[in-house]
Amino acid sequence: MMPLFHWLQYTPLAQTIRHSAALIALLEIIHLVGLALLVGTILMVDLSLLGLGIGRQPVSRIARELNLFTATGLTIMLASGPLILCSEAVRCYKTPAFWIKMALLAIAIAFHFTIHRRVAMAEPPAPHPDARIVAILSLTLWFGVALAGKAIAIFQPA
Amino acid sequence: MFLLSICQWVDSTRLSAIVRQSNWLFSTLDTVHTLGIILVAGTIMLVDLRLLGLGLRSVPVVQLVARIVPATLGGFGLMVVSGGLLFSSEAVKMYHSPAFRIKMLLLALAGLNALIFHRTIYRDVAHWDPASAAPVPARLAGLLSLLFWIAIIAAGRAIAYAPGYDLG
Repeated sequence: MMPLFHWLQYTPLAQTIRHSAALIALLEIIHLVGLALLVGTILMVDLSLLGLGIGRQPVSRIARELNLFTATGLTIMLASGPLILCSEAVRCYKTPAFWIKMALLAIAIAFHFTIHRRVAMAEPPAPHPDARIVAILSLTLWFGVALAGKAIAIFQPA
Repeated sequence: MFLLSICQWVDSTRLSAIVRQSNWLFSTLDTVHTLGIILVAGTIMLVDLRLLGLGLRSVPVVQLVARIVPATLGGFGLMVVSGGLLFSSEAVKMYHSPAFRIKMLLLALAGLNALIFHRTIYRDVAHWDPASAAPVPARLAGLLSLLFWIAIIAAGRAIAYAPGYDLG
């Protein structure tokens, strides 16, 4: 896999980004704004699943009204993330936090679009019996993704 | 300069030295600060989207605000405490950083925007709440808030990329 990361870093696009602090900063700002959108909307749905929702609003309605924005946040992150990655692909390859983040991200996305989606969209009146545990898992996974992301910047490879 | 002498004093404190000299502590504070801002910006964006009539249209604004503000304040607390400690570790450097000054200005403007919103338009919320479309001033407050928080995130990143003096 290392040759792939090496090749990635030496593509013209990656080199352009790598040599521009302004471009990297801009991509990180975009990445963080996407994260804020993702975290805010998922938090709202998960609070609802935990029984801390808004009045008598069914979770499914809140989830339906936020799906588009969660997807937008995720799209912003998935568009900006790989561009940041390619600018320092070799360092990321050697940084465990990067691989932890990718693993957590894969699990979080898979969980979000399968189990989480199904439970959040369950029609009222009966709240889904697994609502609370699904909410806690969702919050834990996305928190883990964010934390591991920060760790990539902090922990330099040995 | 009055502010500069305060910053010099902050840099000379024991607390400043402790944060400055501990990579572990600095990184932890940095992480808490980032997560705090994400929580503040993320929750405020929900209210902004609602005010703009883009998301959560079936939810009354009052209930949304009541539910989400505790999370916003929690995030804000994390952000201010960790931010204050980070600042204390390099106060003079921050004094000279244009990005830091811009960020403080933007925070004040975001706060002012929220204050004006709550003291004026929001007082009549009972009259406009059930309608899915908020009145124009409320939409404007939502749009400004969204822009301010994106700009605050941007200025925060700029501090990291232009430490000190070379941005302006």
